[in-house]
Amino acid sequence: MRAADAAYPIGAAAPRESYLNAARIIQVAKRAGCDAIHPGYGFLSENADFAQAVADAGLVFVGPPAKVQRLLGEKTAARALAREVDVPVAQGTEPLRDAAAARDAAKKIGYPVLLKPAGGGGGKGMRVVARDEDLEAAWRGATGEATAAFGAPALYLERQIRSARHVEMQILADRDGNVVWLGERDCSIQRRHQKLIEESPGPSVTEDLRAKLGAAAVRIAKRAGYVNAGTVEFLVEANGIFNFLEVNTRLQVEHPVTEMVTGLDLVALQLRIAAGEPLPFKQDEITRTGAAIECRITAEDPFAGFIPASGRVALAREPAGPGIRVDSALFSGMTVPSEYDSLLAKVIAHGRDREEAIARMRRALEEMRLAGIPTSLPFHRTALYEQDFITGRYDTDFVARWDPKKVPDLTDGAAASAALAAVLAQRSRTERRAVATADDPWARAGREDALR
Amino acid sequence: MRYEVTLDDRRIRVELGEDGRFTVEDRVVAADVRETVRGRQWSIVVEGESHEVTVVTLDPLRLDVDGHDVRASVVDERALRAGRGAVGARTGRVELRAPMPGLLKAVHVKEGDRVAADAPLATLEAMKMENELLAPSAGRIAKVRAAAGTKVEAGAVLIVIANE
Repeated sequence: MRAADAAYPIGAAAPRESYLNAARIIQVAKRAGCDAIHPGYGFLSENADFAQAVADAGLVFVGPPAKVQRLLGEKTAARALAREVDVPVAQGTEPLRDAAAARDAAKKIGYPVLLKPAGGGGGKGMRVVARDEDLEAAWRGATGEATAAFGAPALYLERQIRSARHVEMQILADRDGNVVWLGERDCSIQRRHQKLIEESPGPSVTEDLRAKLGAAAVRIAKRAGYVNAGTVEFLVEANGIFNFLEVNTRLQVEHPVTEMVTGLDLVALQLRIAAGEPLPFKQDEITRTGAAIECRITAEDPFAGFIPASGRVALAREPAGPGIRVDSALFSGMTVPSEYDSLLAKVIAHGRDREEAIARMRRALEEMRLAGIPTSLPFHRTALYEQDFITGRYDTDFVARWDPKKVPDLTDGAAASAALAAVLAQRSRTERRAVATADDPWARAGREDALR
Repeated sequence: MRYEVTLDDRRIRVELGEDGRFTVEDRVVAADVRETVRGRQWSIVVEGESHEVTVVTLDPLRLDVDGHDVRASVVDERALRAGRGAVGARTGRVELRAPMPGLLKAVHVKEGDRVAADAPLATLEAMKMENELLAPSAGRIAKVRAAAGTKVEAGAVLIVIANE
């Protein structure tokens, strides 16, 4: 908001009162004289009703039209569409009636299975179920979370593909039906199905696989009548076999990774497409240079199972330097509210190759300071030194295997410095208190009384 | 003046000499100390290694040491002589507090239960997610202070565990 030219309040902090209140947002946009609404990447960004309401109000929605969102937002319909254009999908079901139907289906598919909301993606409300006896409880939990996240309780089942990599393909489509792919991002490093580190190019993606994923993503987008920026997600197994997961019909949190390697401004392109302009380049004019990594620094405690934290950021210092980009709204003294997502900052490093990008990211994370609330920084700092990360052989189990004990203790020198500073801080405080007491108006009044 | 400093689980004896010399664990340390922000931040070079220490909060004392979050406490020699420990006396009780405001969805234990460290004790819904709250240490559940279905504030004591 501090970076904006103009800002208009849209309501109270509770999301339902503001960021999820479509009518209010449109009303404020009209009053402010806006001609378009960019929905960002949370809240209503994948809500077809919102896209429709924006269009109905005579405004431009910066993203795919409502009917495309509706089609791809229903996850089982999206799977069917992928199959129609010869893109493989993991074995799965249609939306299920109840837990009993889910148990029957799970027995056929074979455990472990994934219980997923049909109404929306992004890993919200998704459950891994390993045993028959756990399905009932998982069904109840997932129904509740799916209703809270998407306003739709419908669930379906999918075979769980273990030790796979989450690889997604960025696409752009204009209103004339031109579709291009920009390159992949490997987002396998996740906890609770939420991404923590993303990179491009994917360390396991060969030129051949990249071309296949790109072509598959373009086929899906063309069949769906896609317009604007989008991401087609795949699960890739060690042998290169891939399955379609879902389409995210919006800009993604990790889009800077693609911006760094392609040199393109995805948000600017989104606005151009929304304004009706054709894509300014063809598929063979897109170049990718070097490697980029993004670390999502979140207000979560990696020493306590990544539990979200809220509170006051007492100290914030962002890294800088060659190849480093930080997207954040951090400042010292800010309060991290508990109403919203725990993402605090995105640190992105770009290098001529993956090795240089890793080196730059390590240095940037050392330079970064965030204190006052628990953050994921200790995880990110050590993750970049993990052998599995360095060799690029990680998969979606990376975070589960990460051991908080790997965070090194203070060195003797650091501990000695900390001890000295602790003593100096204590003394400085005592001195200030002494000064304050001497100047205390009550003390002065007391002296004056005594002098009278 | 002599001090005993506790950094998380580590105790370090520090002496500040009248001549400005520092002694850490009875060793004189060649330290170059610069106060970069008055009373809040120091840049310290100890034996050629540079460290940055920032006071995050004063009460309780919390430091950021080269990007590490460290709980600290300082006791000077007078207090030491008076017999006050550096760390809050071990009462044998550990509290599970709500790490953030939210809705307490479920409490999985009752008073008298024995729990292992890291055992799930309660489920807290906050930030659009259900979070399992784990036992900070092993022991017996001495008190359950909050009921399932209630809203809790950050820092509220939910469960008290007695160490045995």
